[in-house]
Amino acid sequence: MSARSNFDRTLKEIQQDILRLGSLVEQAVYDSVQALVKLDVALAAQVIMGDEMIDELYMQIEEKCVRVIATQQPMARDLRVAVTGIKILLSLERMGDHCVDIARATMCLSGHPYTVKPVQYIPEMTNIVQQMVKDGLDAYVKRDVEKAAEMCAMDDEVDFIFNRIFRELIGCMKEDPTNVYQASYLLYVSRYIERIADHATNIGEAVIYLVTGERHELN
Amino acid sequence: MSIWRFFRGIGWRPVASYFFMFLLFYAILELYAVQRINIGGAIAVSLPLAVGLAWVLYRRVIKPLNEITRTARDIARGNFYRQVNISSRDEIGDLARSINDMAARLRATIEEITEEKNRVQTILNSMTDCVIAVDRDGRIIMVNPAMESMFGITREECVGKSTVEVIRNFDLDNILKKVQAGNKPQTREIQIISPEPRIFHLRIAPLNSSSQGGAVVLLRDVTERRNMEQMRSEFVANVSHELRTPLTSIRGFVETLLESGTDDPEMTRHFLGIIATETRRLSKLVEELLDLSKIEERRVVHRWQRVEIPALVDRVLAVCGSHAEEKQINIKANFPSRLPPLFGDPDMLAQVLINLLDNAIKYTPPGGSVTVSASVENDEIRLDVADTGVGIPAESLPRIFERFYRVEKARSRELGGIGLGLAIVKHIIKGHGGRVDVKSTVGKGTVFSIFLPMDNPTVENNARS
Ligand SMILES: Nc1ncnc2c1ncn2[C@@H]1O[C@H](COP(=O)(O)OP(=O)(O)O)[C@@H](O)[C@H]1O
Ligand SMILES: [Mg+2]
Repeated sequence: MSARSNFDRTLKEIQQDILRLGSLVEQAVYDSVQALVKLDVALAAQVIMGDEMIDELYMQIEEKCVRVIATQQPMARDLRVAVTGIKILLSLERMGDHCVDIARATMCLSGHPYTVKPVQYIPEMTNIVQQMVKDGLDAYVKRDVEKAAEMCAMDDEVDFIFNRIFRELIGCMKEDPTNVYQASYLLYVSRYIERIADHATNIGEAVIYLVTGERHELN
Repeated sequence: MSIWRFFRGIGWRPVASYFFMFLLFYAILELYAVQRINIGGAIAVSLPLAVGLAWVLYRRVIKPLNEITRTARDIARGNFYRQVNISSRDEIGDLARSINDMAARLRATIEEITEEKNRVQTILNSMTDCVIAVDRDGRIIMVNPAMESMFGITREECVGKSTVEVIRNFDLDNILKKVQAGNKPQTREIQIISPEPRIFHLRIAPLNSSSQGGAVVLLRDVTERRNMEQMRSEFVANVSHELRTPLTSIRGFVETLLESGTDDPEMTRHFLGIIATETRRLSKLVEELLDLSKIEERRVVHRWQRVEIPALVDRVLAVCGSHAEEKQINIKANFPSRLPPLFGDPDMLAQVLINLLDNAIKYTPPGGSVTVSASVENDEIRLDVADTGVGIPAESLPRIFERFYRVEKARSRELGGIGLGLAIVKHIIKGHGGRVDVKSTVGKGTVFSIFLPMDNPTVENNARS
């Protein structure tokens, strides 16, 4: 087998590994918010434990990427493929960590039903974020610049909802001090979700860079 | 012997023609040698002979061979109905016949294979389970239509891609790898979150025939079943909870009375009042549960008959009217002058309206209004119960028809709600072949709409079957 096709194969393999990691992270995002909304401690624990697998897979793939760069010394487009791989990996891994943060918050919140109203916006916000993560990975599979750009634009919506949640939670705390405990955790949680959206836009930017070779700051 | 067999093998015709040609050549050579003819004469004799021979060769060999070549090419392109039209009784004719024979046989085989393939395709197309076939490298070879519609993809999009690129699910990918490595089928239940979260029963079996290392992935959607199971266990938990709450309070007051005696008539009255309320709650709960289970199991014999809407509404208002007056809620009825009758069980339809009106009155603050209206909308009769009450938040809307679901448990309980009213409404209307719809704005009000088929005798059969 020629060095070239061998190299292509490794790149292809890396892409598939990244998608596998992506599948784990997508599930973690979904599960962590499900656990939060339903105050399901068992599911939250599962998310926290599942992160080990994410980290491990992350390290394996990263090493693969580094090895490819070091041994094959790819140029131009090939180098871009490898570098984008690493960027996407990083974003995914960070998302996984935020899911763990959300799951930890769920643990702290469990035991008492929600009394603060803005909790109802969290599923709305996550729906968008979930879609962004999905679209980001889809765009990566299809090398679809347009989809990546559209996905990045969704981040504004997330920021908007985040600001609304923030304001309303502050309002809740002022209204009734017994809300402070719940509301402050939910503040953290919405912040984490907002950060997940930011990492999703990073994936979108990486895809655009991968295809066009141009760097774009999309937010 | 071997020479004899050799001649038998080629036949007498070529031997004879070569022999004849040799003789002719020898004769001309001989004539030329004895100087009977000069070189011009030899040419004059052999040229027509050569031309004649060439012509014969062309007619009998080259032309038919051309025709055969063309036909063979056509057949190779897939035109198995093409035939060679040569029927001479020589070698060329034999070749033509063999080719025709081959074409016919190919045609039959291909037809057989196509039919077999169509049969398999039809089976795959009619399956509600999702099917994916992958090759040794995990690349998708085939997906069936159920798969396409479940995941919103097209066959063209997925063929040649690996499964992670099409369905991003870690478990699926892992199990597939395991099956390909271990060559043993595997089953598991997995959750796939996009396009929408669903639970699947997954089975992956290795493909052992031609494509070594390939596998078939089968996905059966069991979301509905799992939800049902969950609902059932939630139902039991809910019923127990609902029974326990009033029972606990009854027991508490009864025990207090037993211990401290009935000396204080004021307190005794108060306690007995609470006990009475809770007992009423209990019997209401039991009644509604029985109603619901009867309706769900369709054990109720529907008394199908004409039901005039104005009469039905009057009857319902007689029940709910006083309650509305107490709360100073204005009830309006709004009908067009000529309304077709409904068909159904009058008591059940009354129950539907009572439950809806009861909710409308319960969840509307004093001074508000409730409107009952009816209209005809493409072959359906539409009944609306609209209020100007507190409304229902959007995320609760899909759930309010569930048993025991209450938007704000505490407040609804205070108002005497158990959360079965709308479940009963849904089941009765379903039994009548209709549907319920709800639109609501928080703080503005809610509209429940019932659509019932207009005098449709088949409803009766549906409901009984
Ligand atoms: N007209 C309405 N306005 C506002 N909320 C309503 C209305 N009707 C039903 N709901 C909500 O739907 C829930 C389910 O209704 P229902 O099944 O009748 O139970 P309940 O016994 O609590 O009335 C209620 O608890 C209430 O929160
Ligand atoms: Mg009710």
